[in-house]
Parts: sequence; C-alpha cells; structure tokens
Amino acid sequence: MTAVDNPAPQQEDSPTYRPSPVQRFLPFAIAAVVPFILGSTTENVNFWWKALITVVVLAVVARMAWVWTPRGELTHREDMRLWRTPSDRSWAAVTTFGLLVLPFILASDFTPPMDFPWATWFAVVNLVLIFAMGAAAFNLLVGYSGQISLAHVAFLALGSIVGGIVGVQWSGGNMWVALPAAALAGAVVGAISGLPALRLKHLYLLLATFGFHFVMMLVWREYLQEYFGFVGIRFKGENSPRIASWLHWLPGIDPDDNGEFIITGQFRWYWVLMPITVLSILFMVNVVRTREGRAFAAVRDRDVSASLLGINVARSKLLAFALSSAVVSMSGVLASFYIGSRGEDSFNVQTVLNYAIIIVVGGFSSIQGAIFGSAFFWFLPEWFKWAREELWIVRDIDFLSDYPSEIDLAIKGFLVVIILMFKPDGLAGLWKDVKGWIGRSLARRGP
Amino acid sequence: MSDEILSFENLTVQFGGVRACDAIDGHVKRGSLFALIGPNGAGKTTLVNAISGVYKPLPGAQVQFHPAGKPTEDLLSYRPFQIARLGVARTFQNLGLFMGENVLTNLLLGRYIHEHTRLIEGGLFTRRAVKRELAARQAIERVVDLLDLGAFKREPVGDLPYGVQKRVEFGRVLAMEPELLMLDEPMAGMSVDEKQDMIRYIYAAQDELDMTVFLIEHDMSVVMSIADHVMVLDFGQKIAEGTPAEMQQDERVIAAYLGTEMAEN
Repeated sequence: MTAVDNPAPQQEDSPTYRPSPVQRFLPFAIAAVVPFILGSTTENVNFWWKALITVVVLAVVARMAWVWTPRGELTHREDMRLWRTPSDRSWAAVTTFGLLVLPFILASDFTPPMDFPWATWFAVVNLVLIFAMGAAAFNLLVGYSGQISLAHVAFLALGSIVGGIVGVQWSGGNMWVALPAAALAGAVVGAISGLPALRLKHLYLLLATFGFHFVMMLVWREYLQEYFGFVGIRFKGENSPRIASWLHWLPGIDPDDNGEFIITGQFRWYWVLMPITVLSILFMVNVVRTREGRAFAAVRDRDVSASLLGINVARSKLLAFALSSAVVSMSGVLASFYIGSRGEDSFNVQTVLNYAIIIVVGGFSSIQGAIFGSAFFWFLPEWFKWAREELWIVRDIDFLSDYPSEIDLAIKGFLVVIILMFKPDGLAGLWKDVKGWIGRSLARRGP
Repeated sequence: MSDEILSFENLTVQFGGVRACDAIDGHVKRGSLFALIGPNGAGKTTLVNAISGVYKPLPGAQVQFHPAGKPTEDLLSYRPFQIARLGVARTFQNLGLFMGENVLTNLLLGRYIHEHTRLIEGGLFTRRAVKRELAARQAIERVVDLLDLGAFKREPVGDLPYGVQKRVEFGRVLAMEPELLMLDEPMAGMSVDEKQDMIRYIYAAQDELDMTVFLIEHDMSVVMSIADHVMVLDFGQKIAEGTPAEMQQDERVIAAYLGTEMAEN
C-alpha cells in the first residue's frame, strides 16, 4: 500500500491543518439560533440584555471563525494560546454560546415529554457552577499539586464565616465585599493549613489536614452559637446581595417595584455565579500554564529535582494551598448566599467525600474534569429520580422507590468503580476521546 | 583565585558508619571541563550532591563558588534552590525529569529562575506575564534547536526513548544558563552515536555558552578525549588528580579500575 492510498491522518495541531467547511461554519449556524431562543424566554428580561447577549455571542463566534484561517507556521504567541487547535476553538465557541444562552433556554416555557425534570435543572445548573469552582480549586491542590488535603470543607465553612461576619453582621457589608474578604482570609488560613505539607506527604498529610477540618468545624460551631444560636445564619431576605442603585443604569438591570434589584431567583443568580465561576476557573487554568503552575507540577513529581531547578519547594507548596483555599472560600461564600442559610449541620465529612468523588470521576489533575465531575454529581440524582418515577418498567419496581437515596448512592459508587477501572482519567479523558472522534469525522479527508 | 569557579576543601559526607566522601579537596577552573571519574560506589554522585546542597557534609568542609564579577559565595550556607539560583545547575544520573509533562514544560521549568512571573500575574495572564512567557519560550527554543529536540516538543517525556530523555534533561540545565554545569553521567546507557552527539552538545555548552562543565563519567575513553582536568575517586578517597594523560599512566588509577593484580602484572 502506498502513502497515497493511505494518507496519514491530519494532525489537529499541525500548522497546515485546514478545517472543513462544516467545522468553519458550525459556529455561525449555532449562533443563528440565538435570537429565537432569546425571544421565547418567559423570564422578564429587558431588551438591552438580550441584545448584549446576542452581540457577545456573535462576536465570540466571529473571533473563533477568524482565528481558524490558517496562516502558516504558528508563532510562539499563537502556540501559547489556551485554545490552540481549531477543534479547541470550536469547542470554546460552543461552550461560550452554551453558557450565555443556557439560562434563556432554561427559563423558556418549554414542556418536555414524560415530565422530564427540566424545571429543576436551573437550580442544579447553579449548584454545578458553585461546585465546579470549588472542585476545580480542590483538584488544583490535590490532583495537580499533589498535596493530598481533606481540609476542603473547612474552607467552605471559612467562607460561610467570612460571609457571616462581612456580609451579615457588618451593616456596611454585603456579598460583594465578602467575596474578596473570603479570598484573602482563605489564602492566609490556607497557607497556614498547608504548613504540615512541608514535613508530611501522602497519607500523613491527609490525616494532618483532616485534623484541620475538625478544628475549623469547632470554630464554625463556636461562631454560630456565639452570634446566631441554633437557627444558623440567614443569608436570605435583607441579607441577599443586590445591585446598588447607582448601577441600575446597566443594561439588563430592571429594578423591581420597590426600586431595588435583589439577586434572587435562579435566573439572576445564574448571571452572578456563571461569570465568577468562569473567571476563577480561567484564573486557575492560567496559573497552571505559567511559571508558578509549572512549579506546582514539578514539586508534585519530584521535589528534589524541583529544588535543584531553583524552585523553593516550601513556598511552592504553600502557594498551592493558598490559591486553592482562596477559591474554595469564595465558593463557600457563594454557596452560603445562594442556598440562603447555613446551620450547624451544613458542613460534614460527607461533603469532603462528595468533592473527592467529583474530582475522581471528572478526572484527576484536570481542571476541566472538575466541571464534568460536578455536573455528573448533581445531574445524576435528578435523572435517577425521573427514571424511578416516569421511565417505563423502571417506575414499576417498588424496590427502587422504597430506598431512593440508598440506591442513588449505590449506583454512584458503582459508576465511580467502573470509571476508575476503565477510564482512569475520568470524564475529562472520555470527553477528549469523544472530541477527537468528532474532530476526525468532521475534518476534511485526503492529502 | 580569579580563574577558579569552584573550590571545595575537606569535603566529608557520612552515612551512618560509611564515609561516602572522605576529606576531598578540589579546584575547578573557570571555563574548563573538569571530569570526576571512579568505579561504582566511589562517591562521585555523593560529591555532586554535597556541592549542590542535597546532602550536608560534615562540619569543617568548605565549598566556595566564585561567580564571575560577583563576590564569592559559601555554598554550604545555602539551600539547594538558592544554590541553583546562584548559577550551579546539575543533572541526575537516573533522570530528574517530570515524566508526565511534555518536553516544552520540562524545558520551561529550566527558565523558572529567570522569568519572574508572580502567581497572580500568571493567573490574570497580564501583558507582562505573556511577555515573560514568550521570553522563556524563545530561550528554550534555542535549546531545542541546539539539541535537535524539535520533533518531540509536545510529547510527554515519559514516552520518549532513554537517549532523548537524557538530552531533554541536559536541555533543561542549559536553559537555566548556569555558570557551573554539573552533569552526572550524561552518557550512561547511551549508544555510541548518542554518545558522540552528547559530546558535541557538551562542547557547545562549554565553548558557545561559556559554561564550566563538571562531568561525572564512567566511560574512560570519553573522559580521556574531552576532559581538561581529571579527578579520580575510589571508596570515597581522592586517589589521583591531573591531566587525562597523567591519569592513564597513574598506577593507583589503573589499580582502581582494573584491580591490583592486573596492575602488578
């Protein structure tokens, strides 16, 4: 067989790669749907907001399509791009499109057949956003920097404490002030919690950080009883975050009847949570691909060899702890204000395990995996519930509806085992395979 | 003194009851190729570990580094990462690479001490951070060209053949642009062709990049052909020192390598 009969498959990242017409115009096709979706939403959104979304979507799509134009050899700057290959860029365009248009779809009056749990999805999507942010930070520390830590929930609690002090107790404060305050507090306390990592590794470090978890739980309980009693902290009502009146001129801000714009309801929360999550995840992705992030990976793999490259191993470890904890604390603040109240039993060991499930299922040491993992974690129970109630045959099995939570847990555990056995790089690895497959089937064949 | 870059005196490293290095003195000339040879277990790697700060020698030892145009530094008062920042870089006998990361990342880590992007700058991907990343990238591209690593840039290092891995590690210390380059058996396990290439690269580092090379090597023929100055260790003792030609004639060296009986015959 000659080379002409069997041309080598085109490499996605080769400079001479040419995308197929389908690939090139797919984003435009997707973007064309935007006005229809935005037009059909039931949410009371003003015209300017919809117009802004449309413009942003079109701009993103145009940008993605433009950078597809092959221009010979990639420069080093082009090679450094987060979305290097045409396939990366098209998926980034699709993701951006999805993130901007999803809330409008979820707020539309579409009724799915068989009572598919569409209505509950909005809440789940918002929870996924909060969890994705926390899980990505957790993964940065445990997966990417190799510092096994169980103090994750401790920092969610720290976020709630800072949210309580700055956002609730302090009359001049609110959630917007609490977020940077929590990031700062998380960074400082996180660096302190990372001190055992300078001496301990692996299982021993895990135990030391678990100790920190219990110390923090004690602090949380004391704080709660001192200032709030058994009812817990109420982040709702008068403590809800709102847009200050001097910002009401912004597009999309339509004050309510009382002249205020309170962040309440899934739709408004989405527009708060989505940008914060996306920006913090981008921040972490950027850290990973620049100097200090490379040092994290070096310290994880071989600390002696890292130190001989001039990396201060102790500093690098503490930096990883500080960064991760800062982001987790911020997600703690968001979770507190989004859920609306935090009580004595809001934080437990189970939550640490949930985050562990999220990052293992999503893909160890992959920030993308944290997003997949939290989507898996939150959507699966919804689908199980729907299957138990609506799905043909399955709904007739009494056993399933008698022990719903146990069965959920069992199936989740079973899937975790399956993923660990057959796809150790998790859903992120699975996604990579699927992406490669789609890319190859779309790409133009031939020499 | 000014033509010396490294001098160590009375360097003793002890593990329990074993003296891996026993009161070793040595002086490395600036710009030279200093070779440290000796049979297995002679304490060669231990000596390099002591100089680069991984092991602490017994008190009484002196290790002095004389950077060009800067005051003399006492290396024993520094930790390994500080020694690396002073301009002493080293490779490992059994590779100190990060196997899961690709070649570019491994090489870029060699630029860690030169491109000072802070964590927050990196996270925000500011203009300055991008500029520094590009500078680092350009610096390592020169190394990539020099060592013919272009074909492997995005391959995970763990998937590459051993000879290439050795080259990547050598590239990483070159990217650090040290004044003193310590190579721990860079040619171990290589084929003859690969050895020839490596010798070429070491010459390039010494001549074009003005580095002083401190070479640990097993292969006598290699050392004899390239070294300016040779020190021979055996069982933690310095048994001889001089030019390669002198070492070839030295009875103690021959005895250490071939056994005493052979030497007597």
